[in-house]
Amino acid sequence: MGTGEPLIRFKHAAIGYGRKVVLSGVDLAVERDAFVGVLGPNGSGKTTLMRTLLGLIPCLKGQLVLSGAGGRPPRLGYVPQKERLDPIFPLSAYDVASMGAYRRFDLMRRLRREDDRPLVERALAACGASALAARAYGDLSGGQKQRVLIARALASEPQLLVLDEPLAGIDVSTQKALIELLRKLKVERGLTVLMVSHRIHVERGLFTHVLLCDEGEATIGPTEEMLSGGRLRALFENEP
Amino acid sequence: MEKLFEILRPDFLLHHALYGSVVVGFVCPLVGVYFILRRLVFWGVALPQVSAAGISFAFMLQGFGWTAFAGNEADERHLAILGALLFTGLAILLLAALDRRGKGASEGRIGALYAAAGAASILFVAWNAAGETEMMSLLKGELVSLSEEDLHAMLNVFGVVTASAFLFQREFLLVSYDRDMAVTLGRNVLLWDVALYSLVGVTISLGVMTVGPLVIFGFLVLPPMAALPWARGITSLSLLASAIGGLSAFAGFFVSYSHDLPLGPVIVVVASAALLVSGLLHELAGRRR
Repeated sequence: MGTGEPLIRFKHAAIGYGRKVVLSGVDLAVERDAFVGVLGPNGSGKTTLMRTLLGLIPCLKGQLVLSGAGGRPPRLGYVPQKERLDPIFPLSAYDVASMGAYRRFDLMRRLRREDDRPLVERALAACGASALAARAYGDLSGGQKQRVLIARALASEPQLLVLDEPLAGIDVSTQKALIELLRKLKVERGLTVLMVSHRIHVERGLFTHVLLCDEGEATIGPTEEMLSGGRLRALFENEP
Repeated sequence: MEKLFEILRPDFLLHHALYGSVVVGFVCPLVGVYFILRRLVFWGVALPQVSAAGISFAFMLQGFGWTAFAGNEADERHLAILGALLFTGLAILLLAALDRRGKGASEGRIGALYAAAGAASILFVAWNAAGETEMMSLLKGELVSLSEEDLHAMLNVFGVVTASAFLFQREFLLVSYDRDMAVTLGRNVLLWDVALYSLVGVTISLGVMTVGPLVIFGFLVLPPMAALPWARGITSLSLLASAIGGLSAFAGFFVSYSHDLPLGPVIVVVASAALLVSGLLHELAGRRR
């Protein structure tokens, strides 16, 4: 996958929950600036891989090495599935987006919340969500919520953006608009992106690489190379 | 009106009880909002009952002649607070640890805890007839008389709880709303959970000692629910819920005093009325839009 120190490297890793191994022998690297589609059938370990990468669960065996600028772990921006966030919270779109800025939080900033406003407003503007800022997050449509969640991730000034099925449950025209947004953000901000997806038809042009989780294993390669393989084609040939 | 002016006078005989219940009314909803937002309302039922069991246990020890701290009335009260804190803290640790494991039915565990704590409260009292009157009035929500010293101690502790609730509001919100995001931002979710639960434990323990488990459950749940439809953000939810709680306590005290009714149930009825009015107004406002 190109030259230079990879941003993400799994070394002989086994990942899963508790004692249950979901993926074993994971030995792969993700280069900086890649746009990786994490694909695979239901229950194949896509989400488990993502949660391991985010530091939510540890590797059961082996190692995960994250090398950002200066050898430090990269700043992570995370976009969860929009249904995961409970609508009972009385938050505006701005409130949700501003959570990304909590990384910069210290004792003095605690007392000067307005310092974060330009950063959050820029993130919302970059996602075409400025007009949504004052609206209740729970009242937004699926596509609008996704824009706000991407803005929240951007407000954390990430080097690595991880998205969990951002196009699920969204109409086709909004999906295309979000894909364009992600393409633009990746180029403008030099992001490395990992996007978990159930499908490949719409997103195909977006991914530079595909990480396929299937039958307890994870493999990565350039998109066209992976698509020419029989397994991936077989998985997605019936996709609408 | 005469009764109203009477309770507002500084030399009002029960002014400590009035101040105590109003302060509890202001502070409890500040932690209660997280019960509502985290959908842990049943914790709000069970934990005050557990706290009451802790108080009952402390009275029982004193009845058996165990007087490590207890020598006079103030020391008895301190031992009772210690019992409440210990029982509530252990219950929170147990519930949080089991919830983190994510196995079994959470509601079932809380229900079992509530039943066991309710039974224990009564049995501990039964084994110590000396503390029965005081304990039964506490369980019914009759305000135990507060000394000047106790009131000041309560104000100090609740001052710290209030300051912490606002100072660390962002962290409490983040770990309540999106734990995964909190981890990716480098926040220690366990630490902030422990901090929040500690505030909850202290508030419930002191509150139950002051106004009893029924009123504390009411304050934890009813004002935040009444505030929720009108809130625009976590700060406005906290402030509005706190205001509703404090005003309900004051109005409840006034009604209780002027009509010679038991204080605890009256406060809960007033807070319930606030929830009803809030719901109706919100419904009306929704129809007009």
